[in-house]
Amino acid sequence: MDAWDPSYGSSFEGGAEGGDGPASPSSAQVDTDVEVPAAEWAPIDASPAVRCPDVVFLVDGVRRNDAGLWTAEEDGTSYAGLAASYAAGVVRCDLARGAAELVGARVGRGLFTASPSAEDVQAGSVRYEVHRIHGTGEASKLPAAVQAPLTALEIDISSAAREMGASLAADDLLVVDGPLRNRRQLPRTIGYVKTQQKQYLPASLTTVVTSLRPGQRTPVFHLGTVWGGWSWYLRLPGASGAPWSGIVRVECSPDLAPEQAIELADVSVATLPRFASSAYKDPRAPQNLVPIAGLERRLRGMLGDSRVLHRALTLATARSR
Amino acid sequence: MSGVSDDSSPVGRVLGTADATPLQFWTAVTPGSYLQLDDVVVTKRDLPDREPVTIAGVVTQVRARHEGAQFDSDVFAIADGTLPALVQEAAEITTTRVDPELYVPPAPGAIVHRATGEARDAALHFDRMERRIPMGTGRDGVPVFLNADFLDGTRGAHVSISGISGVATKTSFATFLLYSVFRSGALGADGTNARALIFNVKGEDLLFLDHPNTKLDESTRAAYKLLELPATPFSDVRVYAPPRAGDSSGAPDVSSRLTGVDTFYWTLEEFASLRLLPYVFADADDERQQYTMVVHSVTAHLHRHSVPAEGGISIDGKRLGSYGDLVDHIVEQLTDDETRSTWAGSAVNMGTVNAFARRLIGSKRDLARLIRGDLAQRRPHQIKTADSAQVTVVDLHNLPDRAQRFVVGVTLKTEFEEKEKAGTGRPLLFVVLDELNKYAPREGTSPIKEVLLDIAERGRSLGVILIGAQQTASEVERRIVTNSAIRVVGRLDPAEAARPEYGFLPPAMRQRALLARPGTMFVNQPDIPVPLCVEFPFPAWATRKSESGPPPSETMKSIVQGADPFAVVGSRAGSSDDDIPF
Repeated sequence: MDAWDPSYGSSFEGGAEGGDGPASPSSAQVDTDVEVPAAEWAPIDASPAVRCPDVVFLVDGVRRNDAGLWTAEEDGTSYAGLAASYAAGVVRCDLARGAAELVGARVGRGLFTASPSAEDVQAGSVRYEVHRIHGTGEASKLPAAVQAPLTALEIDISSAAREMGASLAADDLLVVDGPLRNRRQLPRTIGYVKTQQKQYLPASLTTVVTSLRPGQRTPVFHLGTVWGGWSWYLRLPGASGAPWSGIVRVECSPDLAPEQAIELADVSVATLPRFASSAYKDPRAPQNLVPIAGLERRLRGMLGDSRVLHRALTLATARSR
Repeated sequence: MSGVSDDSSPVGRVLGTADATPLQFWTAVTPGSYLQLDDVVVTKRDLPDREPVTIAGVVTQVRARHEGAQFDSDVFAIADGTLPALVQEAAEITTTRVDPELYVPPAPGAIVHRATGEARDAALHFDRMERRIPMGTGRDGVPVFLNADFLDGTRGAHVSISGISGVATKTSFATFLLYSVFRSGALGADGTNARALIFNVKGEDLLFLDHPNTKLDESTRAAYKLLELPATPFSDVRVYAPPRAGDSSGAPDVSSRLTGVDTFYWTLEEFASLRLLPYVFADADDERQQYTMVVHSVTAHLHRHSVPAEGGISIDGKRLGSYGDLVDHIVEQLTDDETRSTWAGSAVNMGTVNAFARRLIGSKRDLARLIRGDLAQRRPHQIKTADSAQVTVVDLHNLPDRAQRFVVGVTLKTEFEEKEKAGTGRPLLFVVLDELNKYAPREGTSPIKEVLLDIAERGRSLGVILIGAQQTASEVERRIVTNSAIRVVGRLDPAEAARPEYGFLPPAMRQRALLARPGTMFVNQPDIPVPLCVEFPFPAWATRKSESGPPPSETMKSIVQGADPFAVVGSRAGSSDDDIPF
């Protein structure tokens, strides 16, 4: 059995038979000889010398489509629009003090459309700013457009939170939910990938991944893709026993030296397992980390009630007609 | 009602996730602030085209919870520092006052202030009380008051105090209330002239009301000062005790207090002429009992035919010198076929007479020391508050149950009849009676219960105020409890607290009453919709021998006064000016 709730899909996107791991092999160039030669690959235990940092920041964002709209242009044509709310927040887990607090959260709302005439929409007490997108603006493309401002918001907020806590702890760690992508310039930051879609490793090394025990990681390897970088797999505790359950891929900026990447890998093995969630509390356990789940709940709360917003948007658009 | 006072600080906002109603609403407490039970808060509601409405209330429940936690075990993750969560406190406010009287709910989001000074007085209706009697401090350390109108009979009277014996400090609160009435000056001349009749039923705790308490410390003194009361013992106290059993001189039966104690008893002549026989029987008015008929005819016969004879009485030409003699004589006459009909009437069968005789003989042991024919008649021996000191303490703790009932019944009857005769409500007479459930039980009738019911129902206009205490209000005659304007609750028994008699307590307060500390009472008065939690100071008078200071100088005299044949009936021990200049 895969541990995840079926409605979330699977923790890996596999073939029909399942349990085989990520199905689609990646075309990316993979350098597996970074830490140890590929022939000597074996699971690596947490290094006893590496201590879990006292302060861990976790960043995540949530988004919600509040309403789909259609614009009425003067020439009689119509463009699709999407009113979306998104929020990003940072949790500062002070493990020494035993306090997890929300150190920054910001909510943004936008009206995503290709319409040249669209204006900001004031719906009740909130304002949806227009984000004009290029191209034809088909309705199906609009949700993807929300990701850009959300990522920007996440970067903003995590640097701000980092600055606030910089004086307090020098060896902090920033965990970003999802691949790093363009967030790689943040220092001491790892990207945390819950869902395995691509099989980066050759088949011979995949067995090393599936043979990981909880709290172990694979050696660091290098991905040669556009958003690539240093990466490694890690198995979290609380997995169900399926070969790929509890496996996450962690990555860090390619701008780092291999030694720094290996150090971060060791830190991640010491840190991440204690944040793993348990199956009865979280449908995406153990990959969905406890602070992230808490943060997402808080952020969703900050997005506001969807029914209220939907009604306000309906009223606002009806009035402007 | 004045507005929110300037120095009050915002403590939170009315929350909108629970219904806010005009009579009850929830407040989210600002992080860094706190609200505790009984805190007084005030908020405002702006209305179009009208002046704003001020809504004041007291905190009746507070809660804190983790927001952002879904499961109980999340608390460990939160304490561990892995799950972000927010601790949010909220307080339930029960409205005490809406001014002007427009019952609109407070708006969610409205700022809630802690009420101090005038705003607090207004919230608790103290500003509308013309005469207020301090009865202790609230949880916030500021005095709380009792509306004198509901104590002295102007708009209501009587106090009912309930609570577990020992920890509820019922008697202490009753005496403190009396002290406050006498000393606060709130009642003016009525307060100074008022009398109190206290029945001491347990231990000798109330025998030292006029002795200073040696354990009085600075903080207690400060508490009295805060209430604007002097921290002194009662000034004018007279203690009555029954005669020692088997002692022909009639010395008072007390062990710890040696000075200033007078003996009380009734002479046989008084027993006959005042028709006291029914008070010997617990159920003499019960219609189901056949023998009560005999009681009344014997009483009448005694009244008609007894002749005073040197302390005792003479009846049918026979001199009777003690209660035992009287009982023996009555039983003899009743069992004799020839005389039975003159004593008990003609239609009485032997079984009924025997029932009467059996009970009468049973009373001999208990009452012999109280109904005397061998002591000087002129000697002061009656309990009469009008001639006594400001506070009259009647010690009953050494007496058996039947004798206690007799003393309470006869004393109250006499006092009440005096008041009826005088026809005026002044001076006020406060009667403090513990274990009211024994004297006025919910079931059955008795002469004593009749007297107490009379006091409860008509005492208000005659100036007789009953301060009754009992462990369980549910066992006391309902009409007495319902006639009490002021209801006080100390620590309660859990099963007792669930009874409808305590319906005036909101659920949270009912729970708190289960763990109320000694010295904490919940006082419900008619013009405040929520009972107030009151902490009254430690008594400034001694409550037992070990903490008693030197006795007041006036009482020293009465060491010799105990059996003084020259004493004038009703002379007051306290005032040296009135002494006969021998």
